[in-house]
Amino acid sequence: MRKIFSLIILIILALGVYICISEIPFGKPGTAVGNYYIEKGIEETGAVNIVTSIVLNYRGFDTLGEVTILFLASLGLGAILATVQNKTRGVITPPSLILTTACRFLFPFILMFGAYIFLHGHLTPGGGFQGGAIIASGFLLRYLGCPQKRIRQSSFVAIESLGGIAFIIIGLLGFTAGGFFLFNFLPKGVANTLLSAGIIPLIYIAIGLKVGAEMAGIIDTLIEES
Amino acid sequence: MEKFRNFIYLFILLMLVWLALTSSLEPQKLAAGVIISLGVSLFTSAGYLGLGLPSPGIRKIAYSILYLIVLLIEIIKANFDVAYRVLHPKMPIKPGIVVIKTKLKQDIAKVILANSITLTPGTFTLDIQGDNLLIHWIYVKGEGWEERAQIICGKFERILRIIFE
Repeated sequence: MRKIFSLIILIILALGVYICISEIPFGKPGTAVGNYYIEKGIEETGAVNIVTSIVLNYRGFDTLGEVTILFLASLGLGAILATVQNKTRGVITPPSLILTTACRFLFPFILMFGAYIFLHGHLTPGGGFQGGAIIASGFLLRYLGCPQKRIRQSSFVAIESLGGIAFIIIGLLGFTAGGFFLFNFLPKGVANTLLSAGIIPLIYIAIGLKVGAEMAGIIDTLIEES
Repeated sequence: MEKFRNFIYLFILLMLVWLALTSSLEPQKLAAGVIISLGVSLFTSAGYLGLGLPSPGIRKIAYSILYLIVLLIEIIKANFDVAYRVLHPKMPIKPGIVVIKTKLKQDIAKVILANSITLTPGTFTLDIQGDNLLIHWIYVKGEGWEERAQIICGKFERILRIIFE
């Protein structure tokens, strides 16, 4: 009896799932706007990487919102952790020679790789957020390898603010060039070269520095509290 | 003086990595690479103080390439050895931790040696304390640290001593 019931329920479930899925046109072009991005993306924005052309051009305003969310998260974390009363640093076992030496050696290369990722955001996969995260991971490695080394919070806050302000100023300059917010006023250049895609590389440099400084700051705050 | 040397050293290394990453000689990308490498090495070359990087020279570069080849061959050989131990029905393992001494002086040389030992399957560097390397070994062989060091990393150490002399 129970088995028959479970079989019936299973059939009803399968039918329901089938009805829902059968209406979705898998493999066929879903929306007209998607095709538009793919066909006109390079021509209109100059960015070879279609994802970047959407994220920073067609939906640039959305990205500004994402940057703001990260900023708020960092701010909130700082505000919560600042109220913690007894800031006692736990006993830290000194890292071994392998970790210390390797992280001293690798740190510059991680920073440069992060810069490479956000500078080539319009050409290759990656971009400001990814590059910034790589830079922050370099700082995290340095905290693990050389715990006595700390970043200067003030200079990082300055870089973070400058990055955010640069993003908004570049956006506002679009108005003066006779367009709208985040109007791509610079020449698009030859596709597939570094100096192409107008304002996209500039914005990604700003985002990369901002995200990197912000996340390194978050790591620093958390280390302080641990 | 050593600061300036480290700065130049790091700048050249970063530039080489940048060229490998972009794999192009376009003037725009080269200029960006120079700017980024300069900036990064300005801020971080202080961390290279006392690391003991070898002074460059054609002989040392040749030996560095030889080192990579030897390392690759050792890794392949050790892979087969470990695969044999895993697949053998009796699983002939005799794991243990051994301590060996190294004659290498520089920190970076010790770390390269330790990482090479870790990269070859079957041996794993747990820690470095002074001149002593703590190594976990899947099949402990030999008597005394000298013989064991010869089995584990004799080839590596010989080349490294030439590079870092």
